[in-house]
Amino acid sequence: MSARASLGNRALQYIGVFLVAVTINFMLPRLMPGNPLALLAGVDVGMMTPAERAQVVKEAGLDRPLWEQYATYLKNVARFDFGYSYRQKRLISDMILERLPWTLLLAGIALLFSAVIGVTLGGISAWNRAKAMDVGMLWTMIGLESLPTFWLGMLLISVVSVRLGWLPSFGIRTPGIPLTGWPWVVDVARHLVLPVVTLTIISMPGIYVTMRYSMLGVLGSDFIRTARAKGLTERTVLFRHVVRNAIVPVATVLALRMGFAFGGAVVTETVFSFPGIGRLTFEAVSGRDYPVMMACFMVITIAVLVSNLAVDLIYPLLDPRTR
Amino acid sequence: MKGLLLSSRAWRIVVPLALIVLLAACAPSAAPAPAAAPATQAPAATQPPATKAPAATQPPAATQPAAAKQSAPRVRASIVADEATLNPYTYVTGTPGWNLLMLQYDSLYQVDLNGQPQPWLATGATISPDGLTYDIKLREGVKWHDGKPFTAADVKFAFDYYVANKTGRFARALRPVQSVTANGDTGVTIKLKAPSPSFMLQALADVPIIPQHVWKDVKEPKTYVFPGGTNIGTGPYKLVEYKPDQYYRFEANKDYFAGAPRVQELVLVRFADDAGSLAALRGKEVDLAIRSVAPEQINLLKQMPNMKIAQGPLFATDMVTFDVQKAPFNNLAVRKAIALAINRQDLAATVHLGNATPGNLGWIHPGSPFFNPAVKTEFSVQKAQAALDEAGIKDSNGDGVRELDGKPLSFELLVPSNSALRLRMAELIKEMLKTVGMKVNVSSVESTTWENKVWPEFDVAKGRDYEAAMWGWSAPVQADTSQTALLVHSDPAVGTLNLSGFKDPEADKLAEALMKEMDPAKYKDTLNKLQALIGDKLPLVMLLYPDGAYAYWSNVYDGYKFIAGQGIINKLSFLPESALPKP
Repeated sequence: MSARASLGNRALQYIGVFLVAVTINFMLPRLMPGNPLALLAGVDVGMMTPAERAQVVKEAGLDRPLWEQYATYLKNVARFDFGYSYRQKRLISDMILERLPWTLLLAGIALLFSAVIGVTLGGISAWNRAKAMDVGMLWTMIGLESLPTFWLGMLLISVVSVRLGWLPSFGIRTPGIPLTGWPWVVDVARHLVLPVVTLTIISMPGIYVTMRYSMLGVLGSDFIRTARAKGLTERTVLFRHVVRNAIVPVATVLALRMGFAFGGAVVTETVFSFPGIGRLTFEAVSGRDYPVMMACFMVITIAVLVSNLAVDLIYPLLDPRTR
Repeated sequence: MKGLLLSSRAWRIVVPLALIVLLAACAPSAAPAPAAAPATQAPAATQPPATKAPAATQPPAATQPAAAKQSAPRVRASIVADEATLNPYTYVTGTPGWNLLMLQYDSLYQVDLNGQPQPWLATGATISPDGLTYDIKLREGVKWHDGKPFTAADVKFAFDYYVANKTGRFARALRPVQSVTANGDTGVTIKLKAPSPSFMLQALADVPIIPQHVWKDVKEPKTYVFPGGTNIGTGPYKLVEYKPDQYYRFEANKDYFAGAPRVQELVLVRFADDAGSLAALRGKEVDLAIRSVAPEQINLLKQMPNMKIAQGPLFATDMVTFDVQKAPFNNLAVRKAIALAINRQDLAATVHLGNATPGNLGWIHPGSPFFNPAVKTEFSVQKAQAALDEAGIKDSNGDGVRELDGKPLSFELLVPSNSALRLRMAELIKEMLKTVGMKVNVSSVESTTWENKVWPEFDVAKGRDYEAAMWGWSAPVQADTSQTALLVHSDPAVGTLNLSGFKDPEADKLAEALMKEMDPAKYKDTLNKLQALIGDKLPLVMLLYPDGAYAYWSNVYDGYKFIAGQGIINKLSFLPESALPKP
C-alpha cells in the first residue's frame, strides 16, 4: 500500500516538474534578446512597409497576448504538434523525427563505448590504486576531459580527413550518391567514426572517474575485508563483491546520460555537420527559430524526465537496500 | 593522494608531452605549394579607376590556362544554411538562397556580368515615354521542366500570385505594378502606378516566373508540400533530391532554351559552419565553397595547386553611421574630420588584407558605371585638424581630447560582436581619430542588440538609440543605385534606410527626382549630384567595399562567371559562352 502511495506521489512530482519545465520552455525564447522579425521576413526586412511587417508578425501569432500564446502552446504540446519552423517552413515534428535516429545512433554508440571503456579502465585503475598505472590513467583522463570538444573534432578532421584523406569529415552519408544495402551501411559507418571517437573521448573520462571513486569506496569497506578474510579468491572478491556494488552509481550516471543523449551533442554535431537534434537546437537558437527551439527543449525535457523515472524504477533492482 | 603524487613522475612527463604532440599536429600545414594559382578575374567592374586604391587593385587579367576545364559531370558545392525546399516561397537567405533558387527558375530579364539587366525569358521591351507601360515580347519555344510550354499566361499568373500571396521579396519588387495583361501567348503588358527607374533590375530581373499549372490551386504557398517535392521552373537545373540538413541534388535541364548546362549534376552539401565547409574543400570532399571566404583564408587557399579564387565586387558596404540629430554629429565639422582622418587604404590592407576596395564618400562603388569620379575621398590628418580648429573645436585643457561646447569630443562606436572584421576596423578607427583629438570608445555588443539600437524594429520611424556605429548594407542596396535615395530622404516612409536621421531639403529633392527619373542621362546626372551631396554633407562615412572571394578546385570545373554584385553562384557560370546575355 505504501509502495503504491509513494508511486502516486512520485507521479505527481513528475507531472509538477514537467509543467514547470513546459512553462520555462515557453518563456525562455521570449526572454532572449533580439527580434525574430528579421528571421521571419528575411534579409530585406528594411525594405518592407510597416503594414507588411505587422502582417508577418501576425501570421506568426506573435501579436496575440502572451497568455493566449501560452494556452495554444500547451494544447499543441499535448498533441505533439509543434507547428511550423519559422525558418524551414516545415512541420517541426517531421524535422525532429528525421534527426532523432541519427542523434540516437551517434550518442548511443558513443555512450556504449564510453561505458565499456570507462567502467573497465575505472575498475582497473581502482584495483591498482596509487600504482603508476592508476596515476597515469587518472592524469590522462583528466587531460582528455579538459580538451575542448570543437578543438578535438577539428583536429581529427584536419589530420584524418584533410591530410590523410582516410575518412569523410562531415555529414552522415556521401551526398548525392544513392546507396542501398551493405554499401549504405559501410558509408554511414565511415561517416560515424570521427564523431563517435570525439564524443567517446569527451564523455568517457566522466564515467571512468565515477567508476574509479565508487570502486575505491567499496574497496575500503568492511565487508570486503571480511570477504578476503573468508579466504575468497581475489577474482571472486572483485566480481562478486566489489564490482557489483560499485556499479550502482555508475548505472545512475549512465541512465541520466541516456536521457540527455536525446538532446544530441551540440558541439560534436556542429563540428561534423551531423544532421542531428543537437545541431537543430543550435541553429534554432542562433536563428531565433522559437518554435523549433521550444520543440527541441521539450524533447530534452521529456527524455530527461523519463530517464529519471527509469533510474527510480531500476535502482531497487540493482540495490536491494532501496527496495 | 600521497602515492598518487610520488609515483607519478613518469606520467607527469608523458601526459603533457602527448598534449604537445597533439598540438603540433594541428598547426597549419604551411608547406608552400609550388604553383600559386592565378586568381580568376571578375569583369570590368572589378577594376577601380586608376586614381584609386592601390591596395585593392587586382593583378591584370590573368590569361586562362590552356587546360581550363569547361565542363564537368558533377560539381559539389558547400552551403552553410538550409534553404528549405528552395522554391520562391521557402528559400531562406537572400544570398545565396535567391541565387540557388534562380538556377531552377528564370526571370524575364537576366543581369549580365556587369550587373545590368538584359532580355532573357523576354526578348525585349518597349517602354512608353511616361515610363508607365512596358510592352514585353516573350521568347518562344520555352518549356517548363515537366514539358509543358511556357506562355504569357504564366507571367501574368506569377506576377498576380506574388502580389496576392504577400510577404517576401517578390511582392515587394512588384509594388509599383498596377496591372499585368497577357497579349496572346507571347506578349505581356505591364502598367505601373508611377515610373520607376529600378523596375527592370528590381522586378523584371529578379522575380522568378512560376508555372500556372503547378501553382494555381496552392493556397498556403509557404507550407504547401508539392507532390513529389520537385520544383518546376524553366531554369537550367532541376532539383531532383533534397535531404534536409544534408544535401540538394540538381540535374541539368538538357533542353534549356539558352543551351545545355556544362555541368551535368550539381550537389549542394549542407555544412554547419564555414570551418567545416573549408575543411571539406581542402580535403577535396567538395569542389566549391558557395560562401565568400574570409580574407585571412584567401592567401592560404591560393597556395594550394589547382585551387583558384574568383574575386570581384559584391557591392556589400562597410561604413560608419551616426545620429546626426545629436551632438557631436550634428556638427558638420566633426563629420568632416572623421571622414578625413580615416585611412581607408590602411583599413583595406590591414583588416581585409587587400581584399576590399577603399570606400568612396559618395557611397557608390568606384567600379560601378554610376560612380561619380568628381567626389573626392581624401585622407589627411592636417585637413581634419584644420576643419575642427576652424569650427572652434579645440583642446583647451591639453588632455589630447578636443572640447565641443565644454564637453570632451568623445563618443561610443557600436560594433556587433560577431563580426571580427568590423571589430578590427573599429579599433583602427579609434586610433586614427585619436590623432585628431577625438576619443572613441569601441563598444562590442551582441549583434541583435546592435541592430536594435541602430535600427529599432527595422523601422527608422522608430528613431535611433546610438551615437555612432559600424554598419553595412548588403549588396542589393547598392546594386540598385536608385536606393541611394532611401539612405538620405528625411521622410521615414521614403528614406527607409536613413539610419542617421539626416534631414536636408536638397537631398530630399534629389532623392525624389532620382526615384522617378526614367531618362538614363538625367538619371545619371541626378545620381551624380546626390553622390556629391552625400560626400559633402556626410550622412554616413563610407569605409570600404569588401570583395567577394570564392574558392574552387579548377581541375574539377573552371567555367565560373563572376557577376558584379552576385558572385559566381549564378546560372551563367554553368551555361555555354554563347548563352551569356550581351548588352
